[in-house]
Amino acid sequence: MIGRRLCLALVAVLAFVLAACGGGGTSSSGPTEIAVWHGYQDTEGDVFKGLIDQYNKSHPDVKVTELYSSNDLVLQKVLTAVRGNSAPDVAYMFGSWSPNIAKIPQLVNMSDVVSAPDWKWDDFYPAEREAATVGDKIVGVPALVDNLAIVYNKKLFADAGVAPPSPNWTWDDFRAAAAKLTDPAKGQYGWLIPADGSEDTVWHYVPMLWEAGGDILSSDNQHAVFNSEAGVKALTTLQQMAVTDKSLYLDTTNENGPKLMNSGKVAMLVTGPWDLSSLSDIEYGVQVMPTFAGSSGAHQTISGPDNWVVFNNGDKKKKAALDFVKWLTAPEQVKAFSLGTGDLPTRVSVGKDQELLAKMNETLPGSVTFVENLNNVKKVRPQVEQYPAISEALGQAIVSVMLGKEQPAAALNSAVQAADTALAGK
Amino acid sequence: MTKPQLSTLTAEPEVPELSELPAPTERRSRLRLPFSPWHLVLIPLSFLLVVPLLWMLVTSLETEGEANRFPPVLIPENPRFENYSEAWAAAPFGHFFLNSLMVTLVVLVSNLIVCSLAGYAFARIRFLGRGALFVTLMATLMVPFQVTMIPVFLIVKWFGDNVADGLGIDHIGALMLPNLATAFGIFFLRQFFQTVPVELEEAARVDGTSRLGVLVKIVLPLSLPALSTLAALTVLTSWNDFLWPLIVITSHDQMTVPLGLSYFQGAHRVKWPLLMAANVMSLLPMLLVFIGAQRYFVQSVANTGLKG
Amino acid sequence: MPLLLGRLGRTESLSGWALVSPAAVLIGIFGLLPVVMSLVLSFQHSDLLTPETPWVGLDNYRKLAEDPVFVEAIKHTIIYTALFVPGTMLVGLFVASAMNRSVRFISVYRTTAYITMAVSTISQGIIFLWLTDRDYGLVNAALNSVGVPSQPFLASPSQALYVIVAMTIWGWTGFSVIVYLAALQGVPAELHEAAAIDGATAFTRFRTITVPLLGPANLFLVVWLTINALQLFDEVYATTRGGPLRSTTVIVYYLWDRAFVQFDAGYAAAMAYALFVVILLITAVQFRIARKHAHIS
Repeated sequence: MIGRRLCLALVAVLAFVLAACGGGGTSSSGPTEIAVWHGYQDTEGDVFKGLIDQYNKSHPDVKVTELYSSNDLVLQKVLTAVRGNSAPDVAYMFGSWSPNIAKIPQLVNMSDVVSAPDWKWDDFYPAEREAATVGDKIVGVPALVDNLAIVYNKKLFADAGVAPPSPNWTWDDFRAAAAKLTDPAKGQYGWLIPADGSEDTVWHYVPMLWEAGGDILSSDNQHAVFNSEAGVKALTTLQQMAVTDKSLYLDTTNENGPKLMNSGKVAMLVTGPWDLSSLSDIEYGVQVMPTFAGSSGAHQTISGPDNWVVFNNGDKKKKAALDFVKWLTAPEQVKAFSLGTGDLPTRVSVGKDQELLAKMNETLPGSVTFVENLNNVKKVRPQVEQYPAISEALGQAIVSVMLGKEQPAAALNSAVQAADTALAGK
Repeated sequence: MTKPQLSTLTAEPEVPELSELPAPTERRSRLRLPFSPWHLVLIPLSFLLVVPLLWMLVTSLETEGEANRFPPVLIPENPRFENYSEAWAAAPFGHFFLNSLMVTLVVLVSNLIVCSLAGYAFARIRFLGRGALFVTLMATLMVPFQVTMIPVFLIVKWFGDNVADGLGIDHIGALMLPNLATAFGIFFLRQFFQTVPVELEEAARVDGTSRLGVLVKIVLPLSLPALSTLAALTVLTSWNDFLWPLIVITSHDQMTVPLGLSYFQGAHRVKWPLLMAANVMSLLPMLLVFIGAQRYFVQSVANTGLKG
Repeated sequence: MPLLLGRLGRTESLSGWALVSPAAVLIGIFGLLPVVMSLVLSFQHSDLLTPETPWVGLDNYRKLAEDPVFVEAIKHTIIYTALFVPGTMLVGLFVASAMNRSVRFISVYRTTAYITMAVSTISQGIIFLWLTDRDYGLVNAALNSVGVPSQPFLASPSQALYVIVAMTIWGWTGFSVIVYLAALQGVPAELHEAAAIDGATAFTRFRTITVPLLGPANLFLVVWLTINALQLFDEVYATTRGGPLRSTTVIVYYLWDRAFVQFDAGYAAAMAYALFVVILLITAVQFRIARKHAHIS
């Protein structure tokens, strides 16, 4: 009885499904279809789709379609698609993946392409260009740029009678302020850091390392050198705040930073412009990171540029994809995107546009500081394929010290050993 | 074999089972509560189990600002029911629901049929190579999907290229194909079919019923709780499957509900209220199906056949 | 359990294979073939980026044997499994027997068990991260009120794994309950009635009548929960990401990291295979024990 009914149901559904799934074939004539995979949502998504519509209207021989795919997971999706020969034409890829995705054969090497003057390659901030370059290959065109700066809660500072961060601050000043702003009874902390040991943790430490005068790798990228005096100094600063002062909240979830900030539980965050829109319940200020007194490093920050990469799916599609990317990253569209979304402009020329800066600061106060801070991005993370392994070793070391389990020098030394093994390995 | 009396299955008598009543000597000393004392245990237990769902509901009615607090806000100031309509509008959820529905239905029916056949064979038929085959099938449960997903992708792609478009990459057929039968279902039903009294089957066999006939006429009707449990679990797994659809589906019109949910999870920010609203909406069909199928979970005494 | 005495030999085998073939074909193509292809991958060096996948023989396995993180991962996985499986079964059995009554609203209670399984691991993770937060979580608030100092829980290398055990038991209880409920339905009420009339207490009846009849369900749960516990990934990904300081790095999390973060897929496949062999052995032992037990009872 049941079996028969089920059988009928199965047959009916299968028939329906197979009938419905008939289509999908693309005609060989007609507009060239370009598939763009990205991770934009809300405002960014709307603006981006608007740009695509604009392009489609003005280029009737091309049809650009977009697919939203969460950025964290898009790598798995892209890798699988590439293996199955169904790669997209354009994809938004995290900059940190560059050294590895450079090895994908279908990835278009842009070095010859962007040397053409109409791309205005030099108009992109130096750090972005470096982050898109792997050896002699250029893997993509900058899509997004950001950097780290201090975001602080004005009210908490005022209540504690502490002067807000200034451009002249040193890390000692920062430490003192954080201590004064920490109140265990209220569950309030001076500062918060993502402490899950991932690249998020590492890239909070790296600018401090650079400011102290150190580097991650030697100039030939053969050895890890972050256990230098500078490295130890930077990590010791973190240790002092996390272990001694207990003014540094260790966020192992990596998510609670903006939430705690927005709830007034944390006085300072070192973060990027993306968190500003989450801080709707407080009045915040933005200031550049402090420096190390007496160090040659001066003001430095770190940037995490992401890229539009192009996959070669045949000459026709490749050309159409390149044309689209060129248009998308042209100064006019970069300005439109920044205006619409509040994201930092990827081009220097656009970053100097006063009209844009004024508008950005209006919608998202503090944006201007972030844009100007782009000039403090002097170094980038090493573009080696072993970087994920190096990052992992360094991340574990940092967390270990912040949890009070190890001393900075010892932790960094073991991490350097692990990093060197990884560098020698491949 | 008479059909189970559905009326006896749907009623939920207040009167406790005979097995529950205390022995005659104890009865007088027991306190007479207006309700069964088990409620006192069940209510806190159920509450504990339901806490995640409650949190989801609360978050789904908050504003972005409220959702961006830590520790979390437990009672939203002005419950924002618009989150639901906004979430629905954010992506073509209607279409996603339809896709999820089709995939889940096909996978469910297929599993029930195929796993019943195989489960019965493994439970009752001594056939050559049974042990080896069972182990081999079970082995497929022992390698994590993170490792097998690329080979599965390639196989499904082959099907799409060589058998039918609708079965290949970027079609919902690809979501159904690898899941039409699972070793889980076979294993589950094998265990439960083993609890069906063998005498009933033997009697029918003596009467000349075929193996298939025994399965369909005797074993299945007595296995309603097991079948409905497997159905519930299969629906759950299929409906909530995220990783495989993520890899395989690229076009909006082929997406399923979990993919739609990922719309609210950005690289730097998650839109919790909308995500939770969408999540709650996606739970509803499963909830309704489960509630509707409640009566099948209860085994009618009349069907055990032991009462003669 | 006595098998049907029918005509053994060919006809039995034929009908057996006939019934099994649809499943065998489907699972063979979509389950076994990928498993075999992954085995091949474990003998190669693959980064998932370039199509060249040079054969490296047993290299990956050799590296595995010398990998201290892998050893740690094994330890964590074993501890986790040893606590999770019995924990979930016991809690599930308790809740299921409480729910296996004809009290009013019983379907509501059952529905709550079911619906917990529908909540995504991400949501579960968020909630537990919040509940166990050192400064702002409810659990510590409760502990403080009775004088116990705040615990770091998921932020502590020594406590995190155990919190994950608790979290996953909570998450899987629904499953355990649903399975046991189905099994308890098969326990004939008459047996309980007869024993009750003879004066047996509820607990004795439970122990001597119900529990033995739960044999098949127990085997199913023990095997399935073990297989899942040894492949724990989602909940770790949703909360600690293998930390703090690798204390919650379990085997599958480690292999996922190797494959998709470190781009070393061949190594990940080797790890999966080592794990596979272990799971196979443990499952075989479980079945063997169950068979012996069944013979004795």
